[in-house]
Amino acid sequence: MQEATFLILTALASGAQHGYGIIADVREISAGRVKLRAGTLYTALDRLRTDGLIAVDREEIVDNRLRRYYTLTPAGGQLLAAEAARMQANARAALTRLSPLGVLT
Amino acid sequence: MKDPADFRDVPGFPDRAEASDSAARLERSYRRRLACYPRAWRRGNEEEILAVLMACAAKEQRRPGLAASADLLKGALRMWLRPRPARPGTVRAAVALMCAGAVLELGVVLTVMVSAGSVRASVLRHDPGLTTAQWHAIVVHLTVDEIGGPIVALLWLWLAWANSRGHDWARPAFMAFFAFITVGVLIALGEGAAVYAPADMIAAAVLWCVGLAAMTLIFTPRAGQFYRPEANRPEPAQR
Repeated sequence: MQEATFLILTALASGAQHGYGIIADVREISAGRVKLRAGTLYTALDRLRTDGLIAVDREEIVDNRLRRYYTLTPAGGQLLAAEAARMQANARAALTRLSPLGVLT
Repeated sequence: MKDPADFRDVPGFPDRAEASDSAARLERSYRRRLACYPRAWRRGNEEEILAVLMACAAKEQRRPGLAASADLLKGALRMWLRPRPARPGTVRAAVALMCAGAVLELGVVLTVMVSAGSVRASVLRHDPGLTTAQWHAIVVHLTVDEIGGPIVALLWLWLAWANSRGHDWARPAFMAFFAFITVGVLIALGEGAAVYAPADMIAAAVLWCVGLAAMTLIFTPRAGQFYRPEANRPEPAQR
C-alpha cells in the first residue's frame, strides 16, 4: 500500500471527513512531511471508492461549494488494520536488530 | 483545522472586490485545467475538487501554481487510463442481446423485402375491395419498414454501446426504444399483419422478445450498481 493511501485511510479512521479535511489531517498525521495535492487526493479517493474501501457518507453545500464527506467502509478498516499490523511488525523487527548497534535515539 | 469557506473572509483582506476578482480568476484557471479530466468524472466531482483547490489556495492567489497544475494533469491522465469497473454478467448478456437485436432487425428487413410480394398478394386475396388510398398506405408501410429497418438496427448497436459503457442515460434510452418497438408491434397487429404478413410478424415478435429480455437484464439490482455506482448517495444538505 502506498504511503498516501495509508495516510488517507488513517485520516478517515477517526470519522467521516471532506476533501480539504483529509489533506489537513494527512499533513498533521505525517507531521507535515506529506502534503497531498488535490489531484493526487482525488485520484486516490476514486480508486479507494472503486475498491470499496471508502464510501460517500454525506454531502453538504457550504457557501455555494459542494462538500462531500468520505467514510471508511468495514473492508477499508480491515485493510488498514492489517497494513498497520504489518508495518508495526516490520518496525519492531528493525528496532530489535538496531538495538545492539546503539544507533537508536 | 481551517474550513474551506473561512479562507474567503480572512481578516486583513485589503479589498473585498479585488479578492473576489482574484478568486474568480483562480477558479476559471482551475476549471480550465479540470477540463482535462474525463467528462463523466467531472460531472460528479468537479465542484467538489474545485472547492478543495480554492480552499488550498493562498490569499489573493490569481493563478494555479506549476506544481498544482502538474498534479491536476497527472490526475487527469490517471483518470483517463484507469480500468473501467467490471461489467456484471447481466449487462454483458444484455449487450450481447442488443447486438443480436441489430442482426435480427436486419433479418426482419430482409424478410420484409423478400415477402413484400406475397404480402401484397395476401392483402388483395383477403381484401379485394381495397381503395387506392388503402393500397397506397400498405405500399408506403412496407417501404418505411425497408428503409427504417437499417436505422433501427443502428439504434440497437448504439444502445448496446451506451449500455456497455454504463452511461446513466442508457437504460432510460433503451426503455424508450423498447416502448417504440412495442408500439410498432401493436400497430402491426392492429393492421392485421398476423394475417397478411405472418413471416414479418414472427420476426418482429422474436425481436420484441429479445428487447424484453435485454431490458429485464439491465434493470436487475446488480446491473443498477454498474450504471449508478453512487446511487445511494444522499442529497446534499444546504448550510
